[in-house]
Amino acid sequence: MTSAPGMDFAHLHVASAYSTHYGVTLPEALAEQAAAQGASFLAVTDRDGLYGAVKHVRACAAAGIRPGLGAELAVHDQEHRPLGRVVVLAHGNTTGRGYAALCRAVSAAHDGGSGLLREARASAAGHSTSAGPSISRARLADLAGLSSLTVLLGPDSDVGLAIGRRDNTDAAARLTHWQRALPADAVVLEIVCHLAESGTVGSVTPATRMLALAENAGLPAVLSNAVRYGTPEEAVTADLADAARYLLPLAEIETPQTNGQAWLKPAGAMRQVARMVVDAGLHDAGALERLLRDTEQLADRCALDPILDIGLGRPRMPEARIIGVTGDPVTELWRRARSGIADLYSASGSRAVEAAHAQLAHEMKTVEHLGFASYFLTVSRVADIIRGMGIRIQARGSGVGSVLNYALRTSSVEPIANGLLWERFLSPERQTLPDIDIDVESARRHDIYREVFRAFGSDRVSLMSMTNAYRGRGAVRDAGLALGLPDAQINVIAKQMWRFNARDFRRALEEKPELEALATEVRESQQLDLLVDLTARLDRLPRHISVHPCGVILSDASLLDRTPVQASGMGLPMSQYDKHDMDPMGLIKLDILGVRMQSAMAHAVEEHHRLTGESIDLDQVPLDDPKTFELIRSTRTLGIFQIESPGQMELVGKLQPEVFNDLTVEISLFRPGPMKNNMPLKYLQARHGEVAPDYIHPRFEPILRETNGVVIFHEQVMRLFDELTGCGLGKADVFRRHLGKPEQLPQIEEYLRERALARGFSVKVIDQIWTVLAGFGSFGFAKAHGAAFALPTYQSAWLKTHHPAAFLAGLLTHDPGMWPKDLIVAEARVLGVPVLPLDVQSSALDYRVEDLADGSQGIRLALPELVGSTETERARIARHQPFGSLQDFRDRVHPRRRTFEALARVGALDTFIGYDRTRRHELLAHIQSLRGTAVVIRADQLAFEVELPVPRYSGDRAGAITSLELRGRTQTDLELLDLNLAVGTHQMTRFHALFKELGVTPASELGNLPGGTEVLLAGVRRATNTPPMRGGRRVVFISLDDGTGPVANVVFFHDAQERVGGQVFQTNYMLVRGRTRRSGARGVSVTGENLWNLFDVARQVKERHAVERAAAEEAESAAAYAAELAAHSSVQRSSSRAGGALHHLNAAQSA
Amino acid sequence: MFAARPALLATREPALPHIIDAPVDVELSADGDPRAFIWNRFEHTVIGQPQAVFKRTRWWEDEGTPTRIDTELWRLDASRGGEEQHRYDLRRGADGSWVLALDWG
Repeated sequence: MTSAPGMDFAHLHVASAYSTHYGVTLPEALAEQAAAQGASFLAVTDRDGLYGAVKHVRACAAAGIRPGLGAELAVHDQEHRPLGRVVVLAHGNTTGRGYAALCRAVSAAHDGGSGLLREARASAAGHSTSAGPSISRARLADLAGLSSLTVLLGPDSDVGLAIGRRDNTDAAARLTHWQRALPADAVVLEIVCHLAESGTVGSVTPATRMLALAENAGLPAVLSNAVRYGTPEEAVTADLADAARYLLPLAEIETPQTNGQAWLKPAGAMRQVARMVVDAGLHDAGALERLLRDTEQLADRCALDPILDIGLGRPRMPEARIIGVTGDPVTELWRRARSGIADLYSASGSRAVEAAHAQLAHEMKTVEHLGFASYFLTVSRVADIIRGMGIRIQARGSGVGSVLNYALRTSSVEPIANGLLWERFLSPERQTLPDIDIDVESARRHDIYREVFRAFGSDRVSLMSMTNAYRGRGAVRDAGLALGLPDAQINVIAKQMWRFNARDFRRALEEKPELEALATEVRESQQLDLLVDLTARLDRLPRHISVHPCGVILSDASLLDRTPVQASGMGLPMSQYDKHDMDPMGLIKLDILGVRMQSAMAHAVEEHHRLTGESIDLDQVPLDDPKTFELIRSTRTLGIFQIESPGQMELVGKLQPEVFNDLTVEISLFRPGPMKNNMPLKYLQARHGEVAPDYIHPRFEPILRETNGVVIFHEQVMRLFDELTGCGLGKADVFRRHLGKPEQLPQIEEYLRERALARGFSVKVIDQIWTVLAGFGSFGFAKAHGAAFALPTYQSAWLKTHHPAAFLAGLLTHDPGMWPKDLIVAEARVLGVPVLPLDVQSSALDYRVEDLADGSQGIRLALPELVGSTETERARIARHQPFGSLQDFRDRVHPRRRTFEALARVGALDTFIGYDRTRRHELLAHIQSLRGTAVVIRADQLAFEVELPVPRYSGDRAGAITSLELRGRTQTDLELLDLNLAVGTHQMTRFHALFKELGVTPASELGNLPGGTEVLLAGVRRATNTPPMRGGRRVVFISLDDGTGPVANVVFFHDAQERVGGQVFQTNYMLVRGRTRRSGARGVSVTGENLWNLFDVARQVKERHAVERAAAEEAESAAAYAAELAAHSSVQRSSSRAGGALHHLNAAQSA
Repeated sequence: MFAARPALLATREPALPHIIDAPVDVELSADGDPRAFIWNRFEHTVIGQPQAVFKRTRWWEDEGTPTRIDTELWRLDASRGGEEQHRYDLRRGADGSWVLALDWG
């Protein structure tokens, strides 16, 4: 497989962009470039791993070249002394042995990277910090056996480093060690020359010496370019990567890349390098050709067959015994599914049971055909494990459309009555592995992972990783760092880097009104101009990998031969492959996603049980509770799953849901696709009878009735295709997915027209329905997703309706939604559920519901809210409650001074002064006045000895001590200081007098105003949203909280944004002028016309008051004077103060 | 045993070079190496293997984003007709144009 000499050069040492902060070119680009340069082989050898491996193999397949895989790894000897970095390449044509050895070598490098070994290595290397991943030479030698691997010793190996020091004797000795340690054919020397200046790294001199060393040792030498980027232009980006890796400005990097020659050079340029290297030393006549030939031969040896060597595309499920199956998995699956149907459907009557069995038979046919029985048993086993742990579980995604999943209790949404389709999930026509997502309580996710690892064995399970790519802020920060810009300046710019792609930075500067000031700066500064370009270069490049929030890989015992693993942050092994690599690698991934709402609901149920002894089974709650729907229709949906955003509130108000299916529709409509396709408006018009539902043809009515003739769901599109052409639902799903590809449309249309005519549809009907389908494109939403979301939506709404205190305690504890906690506190206040202040006697580690004396319920603030307190302190408070005295508290809790004072300040110690707030300053002063030596207590925590008990300050108040810290501060101020959360009164309360004066409409009264009313609104910003909008023009939603009720939602359209500028994102306390906009029967929002900073307004009003007061005083004295003199009456000033203030503001604004 | 021969890039006794800085036409071989250059209307033929050196720049101190972070220099021995050979430095710009930078004598 060799091509003409000179045309082909095989690069054996190439870092892709997945070598984060090192390589800068994506594998796809590298493979395409290599193929275009006439190469027939390309290896990717990422640093410390196989991060880009799967993408590389697929890219090579697409480009028609042979892939090689390797990794650049650090190696150490048996005494943990570093041996530099080498390239480990897998041999092909070994039925996977080479690739498996490579995976194991990478995992071993990361495995030895923890604990004592790492420390030993770090100290051997003379570093105080822990070293990175490294593999022992002995382990590498084991893995290289059976001719599985080649180890390239290049300039960064201990041999190469010795050459670099011109210590040829040491280099030869070290090479001998390698030769003794590794199998005979495993060691190859790597010649790298970047044509750098003489005397620097990468010059011809060390390269030619390395070649001579190989000749003397009788070892093959290969030429590589230690590639870091595809083209010379990308060398700039590699400089940026270096700056980010060293965390230093470019100007301060001691060892920057020598020059910009580490690119994927074509064959001609590599031969040129080879000639210069050979020419620079004394080599025999055949040296040049031998070097190039050895390179080519090694490439041939390392070319991997994607299927035979890597096992691409071959799924492997856990072995039957692991999932508790002794016999045939298919038989077992049938048995479990049938018994599930009997349990779940018998209450719904025999017809339902029959229908379910029929559907099961249909689904099982596909499962058997595709050989996925073990997969379903595996997922169901995991679901059983989770349920067995007493954790809430809810399947999501297209898998919800399956009776099989429902019968196995993997999913809890009944698919037939909900109109969900199996084929949307799985069919013989679908080429991808099935994907079932499971939502669990977020707080228990790690427990679940550990249990799954335990149950399946850690050689079959791994967490999935995800690649985090550069986005705007990170890109601008690292580009700024590289240029050495001051942190403060970068911060200011980074704060503005959102809502657009960094690669479009320059265009955004031209177009976005809020970036106007920055655009001007950029025009005036050469450095900022450069920053814009560099930021765009970094955008989208992989930045680091981390554990995926939900992906768990399940496989058989061969897993670690097919994926390298490294420790994740939580300690469990994590695959170096991400979600895009799963399907090609035949890795079965299960999404076990922690959903905070599930934790919040579990918390609510627990609290209810704790207080009343009653158990609520949320999955048994009837789905037609009138009060629950009433609450939803009122748009007071704050805290309710999926429908609490301002946009959702508005849509809920317009839609007025009455039954469960309405929630499914609502959630499905509020998606980018349907929004862009204007589906909400069409649906609402039909729903409210403004237009008659248009079913086009009676045969479509059963399909479209549930959405009043508007096509919203993927399932509807599939049914329409099937009805029109009789193609079957599996094929229909293929058509549906192709609707999004314009080039496919003519083919689909031709097929559809021909078949529909034959099936009795008129041309007119076909024309009409084709317009609908073609317009649908890739828009719309799978009803299975919508229905799976609608269940927790309903359940959370039900809890909010019937158990508000417990529900809000759950929200405050697990913080599941989009709103900050103080808004949830405000909502609690409105619902008549007081949030009780922090108290060391009763505050727990989470929010607890307390029964109050008047029979109502309150929520007690949780200890973790205390800013600056440590986990151990809080745990001790919770463990030792209640406390008899301040001394008792100090003895058993041993708080640090800072925590102690904060507790006193915020009132959490008021219990020790009889809840007499007026004495709190004494308590605080006492604690502050105490002096003691720091003592070490349990858990290595410093505490200070206090003299207690608290002196009683009675009688002569003049002699009492005080703390000035509390003077002039309200409880709200103190809470905001130490808790970041005001529970006593709302932080806007102090502005209420100002609001009254200005004529601000309270948010709670907004609903009473007709549409089109001009209003002033004020408050603190709680959320900013820029939802997807039809037409593409950005709309900014700001949710304002003034403390009177739910948030008021203000919409700023494009023209208003231009008027307001950057303030639309930057001002937090604001006054807004706008007009009310009715959205449906109950909803109201405000179209913003202008906004001002509330503090500016307050200051101006204050200044005006001062002026007026002075004027009035002057007038008064003048009047008195005048009266005295001539008995004239003075002129009384009176004006509409609010109008005056606004007039003033308008003038200021236009100025 | 690894002694390199006195190569083009090896440091030599510093003979003071003549600064030329004149644009020249360079003829490349099929391999991409300079084979000859024309300076003062005379063709200078390259002898032996010329050596390229790429020297990095501090590009972030200049205006605009560069397409290259290094400059390309070729050191070679050449002779005019049968005359004694000299050592020269040729510089290739980003646009592909050549400048005869130094004559080392």
